[in-house]
Amino acid sequence: MSQRKLRPYILFGFVTTHDALAAEEVLKKTGIPVSAVPTPSSLAGGLCGIALRIEPVDSDRVRAQLADRGIDVRAEVEMGDF
Amino acid sequence: MSANKSTSPAPSIYLDHGATSWPKPQPVVDAVVRALTELGGNPGRGAYAMALAASRAIYDARRSCAQLLGVPDSRDLLFQPSCTHACNLMLKGILKPGDRVVVGSMEHNAIARPLARLASEDVEVVVVSADRTGFVDPGDIEREVCARPTRAVICQHASNLTGTVQPIEEMAEIAHERGALLLVDGAQGGGHLQVDIGAMNPDAYALSGHKGLLGPQGIGLLYLASGFDVQEQTEGGTGGGSSESLEMPPERPDRYEAGTANTSGIVGLGAAARFLAEEGDLQRKQEAALARRLHEGVLDIGGFRVLGPPPEVPRVPIVSIVHDSVEADRIAFALDRGYRVAVRAGLHCAPWAHETVGTLECGAVRLGIGWGNTTEQVDTVLAALAEIVS
Ligand SMILES: Cc1ncc(COP(=O)(O)O)c(C=O)c1O
Repeated sequence: MSQRKLRPYILFGFVTTHDALAAEEVLKKTGIPVSAVPTPSSLAGGLCGIALRIEPVDSDRVRAQLADRGIDVRAEVEMGDF
Repeated sequence: MSANKSTSPAPSIYLDHGATSWPKPQPVVDAVVRALTELGGNPGRGAYAMALAASRAIYDARRSCAQLLGVPDSRDLLFQPSCTHACNLMLKGILKPGDRVVVGSMEHNAIARPLARLASEDVEVVVVSADRTGFVDPGDIEREVCARPTRAVICQHASNLTGTVQPIEEMAEIAHERGALLLVDGAQGGGHLQVDIGAMNPDAYALSGHKGLLGPQGIGLLYLASGFDVQEQTEGGTGGGSSESLEMPPERPDRYEAGTANTSGIVGLGAAARFLAEEGDLQRKQEAALARRLHEGVLDIGGFRVLGPPPEVPRVPIVSIVHDSVEADRIAFALDRGYRVAVRAGLHCAPWAHETVGTLECGAVRLGIGWGNTTEQVDTVLAALAEIVS
C-alpha cells in the first residue's frame, strides 16, 4: 500500500461563536478560502464550537486580517488530514 | 390577511402599538417562518450545516440591529428575552448595596420594580419628579447628582404613557461629568425615534424588540458600553468547548446569553432592523403626522385631556386621553365592542408615571400609533370617540 502524505491545514479557534463568524465573514470578503468546522476536542479548552480551517499558505494574511479587525483569535494549530 | 376573517379576533383598527406592534412587516414574518423551517439547529452549539446556518443568522441579526441603533461594536448588543429582562440585568448587574441612583418619575415597572427590590438591598433610590407633561428636567437631575456621590442616573428615552421624549444626550453629559453612569430604558424609543446609541453615549440602553422595532415578541436587546464590567445574572451553557469551566466566559455576547437562543425571535428582529433601516425615516414622519392629527382631533371633540406635551412638541406616537366624565375602561370597551378598535386602558404598568401626571386614580386610554396605521383609521377613531362621549 502506498504511503499517503498528510495534507496540512491550519485551524483558528475563537472564544465566542460571534468572533468565529466575524472572522469567517472577513476572510470570505477578502477572498481567502475558509471553512467552518467543529472545534476538535484536543483544542477545545475555553473555545467555542466553531473553528475556521484555512490553507497554510494563507495563514499570514489571515492573521493580519483578523488582527486588523480586532478579532480575538485564541488558538492556532497546524493539523493534517488525508 | 387573516385579520379580515370573521373568526379572527384581530381588530379592524389596531392602536396598541405602545404595548406591542401589530401587524408585522412581511419580511419579519418570512424570517420567522424561515427560522422555524430551515434554521432548526441549536445556534452556537453544533457545527453541522443547520446549526451553523442558525449561528450565522443570529450573527447577521446582531449586526443589523447594531447598525440600525448606532452601536459601533455589535458584541456590545446583547439579545435578552425582553426589555424587562434587559432592564433587570442592567440594574442588578451594575448596582450594589450602598450605591445611590437618581431616577426620573416616569419610569415603567420594568425599572421601578427592580429598583424597589434593590432599595430593599440598600441601594438608595432618589426619584426626581417630572413635570405634568412627563418631562424630566435635566437641571433637576443635575442638582441631585451634584448633591451626593451618585453611581447612576436612570432615565427612560420616551414615556409609554405620555409619549414624552427625554433629552438622553444631555442626561449622559450630566451623569458623566459627575462620574455617574447613565442607564436608559429605551423600550418606547426603538423604531419610533431615530436611536443613535453611539451619539447619545449612554452606558447601558435597554430595548424591546416587539414594539416600535417591529420584531416578534419574546426578544429584547441590551446595549452595554464597551469594556464596562456588568455582572451577569444568569449562568448556564454557552456552547462550545468552554463547557468544562464552571465560570461564565467573560467575553461578550456569550457572558450575558446563557441558554439556547430564541433563534426565530432574533432572526425576526434582524429582519425588522433591516426593514427599518430602509423605511424608518418615512415611517417616523407618518407616525408623527398621525399622532398630531389624533391629538388635535381629540382636543376638538371637547371634554378630553390629552396627557403629555402639546401637539406641536415632538413625542413618540402615543396619545393618552382622559375624559371629564366617561371612564377610561368604558371608552376602551366601547371602542373594542362597538368599533373593533384595539386600545389599552388602565395604568399601563406605569403607576409612577400616572401619579406624576395626576391620573393614578382614573387611569387613561392609551392610543398608540405605529406601523400600518392610516389617516382614515385615525379619523374613524376620532368619530367613534365623539360618539362614545356624546
Ligand atoms: C417604557 C417601557 N419600559 C419597559 C417595557 C417592558 O417591555 P417588555 O414588556 O417588552 O419587556 C415597556 C413595555 O411595556 C415600556 O413601555
